[in-house]
Amino acid sequence: MKKILTIAAAMIIICFSCIAAFAAGINSAEASVLSNMRAPANMKGNTVYVPSSYINQAEVHFNTIDMTSAQAGKINSIINQGRAYLQNTGKASIKELSTEERRTMMKYASDAAAVLNMSAAAGSDGKNIKVITKNGEVVVDDSTQVIKPTGSEVHFTIYITVLTIAGLLFVCGAAVILARKKNNIYEETK
Amino acid sequence: MKKRNKTNKNTKKFVIVPLLMCAAILLVSSTICFPLLSDVFSIGSMFLSDKQVDYSKSFENIFVPTANDSDTVNAKDVDFPSVNKQFGELKIKSCSVNAKLFFGDGKIPLRNGVGVYAGSFIPGYNKTILVAGHNNTYFNGLKNIKKGDTVKINTSYGNYKYRVTAAKIYNAENKKAYDLSKNEENLILYTCYPFDTLGITEKRFFVYAEKVSGPKIVGQYE
Repeated sequence: MKKILTIAAAMIIICFSCIAAFAAGINSAEASVLSNMRAPANMKGNTVYVPSSYINQAEVHFNTIDMTSAQAGKINSIINQGRAYLQNTGKASIKELSTEERRTMMKYASDAAAVLNMSAAAGSDGKNIKVITKNGEVVVDDSTQVIKPTGSEVHFTIYITVLTIAGLLFVCGAAVILARKKNNIYEETK
Repeated sequence: MKKRNKTNKNTKKFVIVPLLMCAAILLVSSTICFPLLSDVFSIGSMFLSDKQVDYSKSFENIFVPTANDSDTVNAKDVDFPSVNKQFGELKIKSCSVNAKLFFGDGKIPLRNGVGVYAGSFIPGYNKTILVAGHNNTYFNGLKNIKKGDTVKINTSYGNYKYRVTAAKIYNAENKKAYDLSKNEENLILYTCYPFDTLGITEKRFFVYAEKVSGPKIVGQYE
């Protein structure tokens, strides 16, 4: 009997795992979060929106998970609190937010991400936001620009190395020229 | 006294002047000549680096060619790729472009093929698909692209064709170059401009294409 119960329990766990693994599409809970993310905030008469790239990245991720309505409720509540805080800062744009205000906004983002077992982090200035799943998968990445550098990769060390070599060559060259000049003057005076 | 004066003069000639000149050259080269020197740096980076260069081909490939040419595909049948996974291939016969297509446009995708920006969408989603590639490798052929050329994208869930409608050059930071909120399938390919330039460039060459055929992903909104 114990064995049967164990097998049954294992089967249930596997079934639930399968549901998560094969999740695709945007369910009503996920749609409500996306819709809330698209809603504008009013900052001193100016209407501001969450950037499309953030919403798109969230939508792409939602296609791979199954959010419950309870989770969506918590996330929407945090988004609403964040929006209210933003509107009450008295600032006219996101750019005007102080570092402390950016950190507070980041706390809201972090709390929302935590509902889905994800972590959100940002630089000390509240910029360069990254949302990462517990498996290390990047869901939202604001640390790089939309349009990437698509030329050859250049390392800063190489830059310094080449400049240093160029500088040293110049110093040597200058020293040689000056030494020759000195010799010429010496020979002329001689 | 004379000897001290001579020493001072020598110090000025052989140490201070060259050092000042060196500093001036470094300053000028780092501000004005950087674009000109970028080729040297790029070539140098092939031989010297402070980091262990990762030339690995270690990425997950979920692309399995399919003959599916139906008009629709259900979202449940689509294996949505995560960042750094190869999920297809991109081909432009007229320009000899043939590259693996990744989700995400970080180092691994761009080193091994071309990559869809994670803030845009995969083909069939009826939204913007923004694809990056290096100008000296996989997207070098874009320099020969013409209006009307066909871009093919093959994925595990369907094969897509797009028709090139325009090619434009914008600064990398110009947000007019793309619209990520568009609710219409549109393909944007871009690479650094000018072509065949090594190193950093400010401009990008954008290719715009409209969808001709390929299955639309349905049922993503339940």
